[in-house]
Amino acid sequence: MSLAADAFVSQMAAAEPWPENATLYQPLKEDQILLSDCASSLAVQAYLRMCDLPVQVVCKANAEYMSPSGKIPFIHVGNQVVSELGPIVQFTKAKGHSLSDGLDDVQRAEMKAYMELVNNMLLTAELYIQWCDDATAAEISRPRYSSPYSWPLSNILAYQKQWEVRRKMNAIGWGGKTLEQVYEDVSQCCQALSQRLGTQPYFFNKQPTELDALVFGHLFTILTTRLTSTELAERIKSYSNLLSFCRRIEQSYFEGKSS
Amino acid sequence: MAAAMELRCWGGDWGLPSVHTESLIVLAYTKFSGAKVTVSPIDWTWKTLTATVPELLCGDSAVQEPTQILNFLRKQRFNADYELTARQGADTMAYIALLEEKLRPALLHTFWVDAENYANLTRPWFASRSPFPLNFLVPCRHANTALSRILLTKGEAPLHRITEVEGKIYSDAKECLNLLSYRLGTANYFFGNSPTSLDAFVFGFVAPLHKASLPSSPLQSHLRQLDNLTGFCDTILAVYFSSDHPCPPPPVQETVDANLQKLTQLVNKESNLIEKMDDNLRSSPQHKPHRPDPKPSLASEKSSTPA
Repeated sequence: MSLAADAFVSQMAAAEPWPENATLYQPLKEDQILLSDCASSLAVQAYLRMCDLPVQVVCKANAEYMSPSGKIPFIHVGNQVVSELGPIVQFTKAKGHSLSDGLDDVQRAEMKAYMELVNNMLLTAELYIQWCDDATAAEISRPRYSSPYSWPLSNILAYQKQWEVRRKMNAIGWGGKTLEQVYEDVSQCCQALSQRLGTQPYFFNKQPTELDALVFGHLFTILTTRLTSTELAERIKSYSNLLSFCRRIEQSYFEGKSS
Repeated sequence: MAAAMELRCWGGDWGLPSVHTESLIVLAYTKFSGAKVTVSPIDWTWKTLTATVPELLCGDSAVQEPTQILNFLRKQRFNADYELTARQGADTMAYIALLEEKLRPALLHTFWVDAENYANLTRPWFASRSPFPLNFLVPCRHANTALSRILLTKGEAPLHRITEVEGKIYSDAKECLNLLSYRLGTANYFFGNSPTSLDAFVFGFVAPLHKASLPSSPLQSHLRQLDNLTGFCDTILAVYFSSDHPCPPPPVQETVDANLQKLTQLVNKESNLIEKMDDNLRSSPQHKPHRPDPKPSLASEKSSTPA
């Protein structure tokens, strides 16, 4: 039944062109937003800029609750609300803008596989470091997550979120991992991405695709976010082609505007 | 290493050496890499409740989880990925992530959550392989774990209801099977002529779906349309798990000099660079063809030679 709803939304989406007043919602940038949400939001912003679709970024404290799926970021276009990169890519495709049309089937399979690799490893590692590592959770995640709310609501929400994320980590088997193992997994993931990128400007040669946007979002956020230890950023910095990749996308799509 | 290795896993049925996905992955990899392990099924023992399966025992150490076991076997010089380039190794990681994210929830649902399949196939099978009184506990515990895993990873808080995610996980799984089929094409294995760890993972995930006699499964009917994937499973079963003829030897691994290995990797990198330069020279910078090539439909996959 949700498939029928998706098809209906696609049809509605195809009917109208991209409006000027499209907005992207995310939590407050300075005080509230966390590493994983910031990475996802930056990935969507990069994707929309690559498609040359204008969007305004609006920061709201309750963005997570406004989102239809509970995940950040979400965009409000016309009279539709779509959240998360996957559905947003399909939504823009229904409107006729797509970055991966030129790929053949095998390349598309590879692109989807690498996107799942980033989601499976990098995103999960970010969530683990934020919520399952006690030091980071106490110093950074819980205070930031609950900053817009007053006591006792702030405590309740922060611990509830932590409990949810820890349950999920246990279910997928990351509950028993140590921080060192998680850093090791991130290194392996970055090694795989670095080897796939090689010396090319983008993952699929000349044109950026949603994979480039996703990888940029995660790597750039990790490199520029202050955590309790710089171990994660150091691991990524050891892959020079990934660093120049991030720099290249930042210069091509984000320079000249404050994001 | 000459230390004897023992693998604990679930037993086999439906023409497969094991019905449990993770056990199947490890079994397939041991065959591909030529590792000699004694297989001890945990059926009808109390280990069905207590042990984490699969588990590899070698001397004093016990290793669990397929990825850890494969790493351990590689360190013992049983390496089926020996001839892969660095980029193919990266592709392997990516495709395994794709299987875990897209295919596993639907498989868990098909076998453990779907009421008809669970009542008619999965629960009787696992109950019959567990000693009394565990036959009441073991299938229930697995089903609860499966359901909670699906809801936690795919469910959208706060409405944790299975009906809302069913449609999504099945469409994701069908797409994943299609992607695997495109990637496999007409080849026997995913990389070249000898199977690697990616083949072991795909076999472990796809073979139970292919062989089990499920009363109701749209996913199984979708898989049956992808001839190259079903042919892939049948080939591996016939070549590596048939009791008639012996397994082909694994790719010979001489004690390679570390320098020689580095040299080989450098040469591979060089040839990749040359290929890319060639591509760059060929493709003109201004014009990008706007017409995508006509995509081969799934029907054309049927023309691939079955195993």
